[in-house]
Amino acid sequence: MTVLPANDIVGTNKSRRPVGLLLVAAPVLLVCWLIIWPIISAIIRTIWLPDAAAEKRFSLETYQFFFSDQYSINNLMVTLWTTAVTALILLLICLPIALYLRFATNRIAAYVQGLAIFPMFVPSIILSYAFIRVLGPNGTVDLLLNAVHLPHIRSPYLTPWGPVLGLVWDNIPLTVLILLSGLGNVSNQSIEAARDVGAGRLAVLWHIILPRISNSLLVAVSFTVLGIFSAFTLPYVLGPAAPEMMGPFMQRTFRDLNDPTTAITQAVIAFGFCIVFGLFYVYSVAKNRAP
Amino acid sequence: MARALIEKRMDWTGIGFAAVLTVVIIFPLLVVGTWAFTNVWRYPSVIPQEFGLKFWQQTLARADVWSSITTSLSLSVTVTLLSCVICLPAAYAFARMEFPARNLLFFSFLAGHAFPKFGLLVAIAGIFLQLNLIATFWGVVLIQLVGTLLFMIWIPVAAFQSVDRRMEEAARDVGAKPFRVFWSITLPQAGPTIAAAVLLSFVGTFYETEGAWLIGAPQIRTLPVLMISFINNQPVIQYGAVLSVILWVPSFAALLFARRIISSGSFARGFGG
Repeated sequence: MTVLPANDIVGTNKSRRPVGLLLVAAPVLLVCWLIIWPIISAIIRTIWLPDAAAEKRFSLETYQFFFSDQYSINNLMVTLWTTAVTALILLLICLPIALYLRFATNRIAAYVQGLAIFPMFVPSIILSYAFIRVLGPNGTVDLLLNAVHLPHIRSPYLTPWGPVLGLVWDNIPLTVLILLSGLGNVSNQSIEAARDVGAGRLAVLWHIILPRISNSLLVAVSFTVLGIFSAFTLPYVLGPAAPEMMGPFMQRTFRDLNDPTTAITQAVIAFGFCIVFGLFYVYSVAKNRAP
Repeated sequence: MARALIEKRMDWTGIGFAAVLTVVIIFPLLVVGTWAFTNVWRYPSVIPQEFGLKFWQQTLARADVWSSITTSLSLSVTVTLLSCVICLPAAYAFARMEFPARNLLFFSFLAGHAFPKFGLLVAIAGIFLQLNLIATFWGVVLIQLVGTLLFMIWIPVAAFQSVDRRMEEAARDVGAKPFRVFWSITLPQAGPTIAAAVLLSFVGTFYETEGAWLIGAPQIRTLPVLMISFINNQPVIQYGAVLSVILWVPSFAALLFARRIISSGSFARGFGG
């Protein structure tokens, strides 16, 4: 028989079921092996420690050590401070830019949007180098101040403000894009209606716009928190040697001090501080997307 | 009318943003660009005393620069190819086939994004330590491969889903074999978006610094890792500047090809916006 019955197509589809699973197996196994298993194993490794007789037993001593060690606590504090300050500055810079871009349509707006997205195409390591050349000792800002006979600035390079400035610069594009995408949900009519009943600009912002983009604000903050809490390159290159942020701290503990268990403890503590933001972020991404 | 015209001409807010952003975003990069083409620039001169290409020759004559360019390129090519081989068939399956736990598996690729990345890398490094994958080429390949999964599956899934199914059915009706349908109908339509995903994962891998530093150093030295050591230990400023310009090339390519995709709303929604 050369002509196949129509329902054979349905039949082939059914027989493809295991084929689908087979096709997705490789990346899914990779996720299980290199994301899910490391997290589980990190927790097990740090609470199930070998004692003097090499017998494994339950113990929280690595965590007790972290929270009783002043140096570790200082590092955690400077990380929390950097995260909070960076997130705040980012919102203060990006919200006005996003609001402007939402309502302007001219060529200047296109230029501003291009500039706001541009840092996405500058790797953070080039940014670090540019930062040092401009704001570092004898950098361009010093040159210009010197040329007009003004005193030197106190350079933020190698102070906690160094990573803050670098991280703000680096995170502007995604924050602007996320906020802009949220502002797309605010209709022009609702703003005009509020204006018609005499609402001022601030009132419109506070009562009409902010409630509608609160979700995007939270997503932007979550994304920033996740990114900054364990940022490595910018704090490592631009930040002070002590206290150091969690990223460089973990790296130094793991590689230079050769103490993986302590480094993994620090990683699990970082997970703990970010878990709420992380779950919210993943939930928001998943909500917008169905396979 | 007159007021509207004036408002149109004088967008002071926009001019203010444009001016500030130009100074903050473009100016630092111009300074680096200037340093790269400077032979002599001594303090306190505002402009360099002598321009020239002297340091390009010196930088390109360094063995460590060439070996890290080779390392970076072979890592990025290997990771991108592997990622294509395992992710594109999976993306096709997610877009077109029914199988058990499809949604759960689709969203499992988000798992890594619920955790701070460097902490996750340290946890992975703990496992690689037991497997002797630290400071090996394949250790870095694995860690960078994981970083490409989400992009390389989610973007192609959207691409396959946006293909017009009626055209495929029409081709099948006139007797085309499944592979022929895929090759002549599905792939040309999904191709450009998939190519953008491949480009993004290549560029992303090229600049991946944390994993390469934590897992690969000191044996596996990529360009960004070399750049860190130039920043920390290299007194000749121009080496870093020249390397920055070289290092920026793939990003510039991405800028040319991927800007449209990134400016569109769907990209930001992919980040949960």
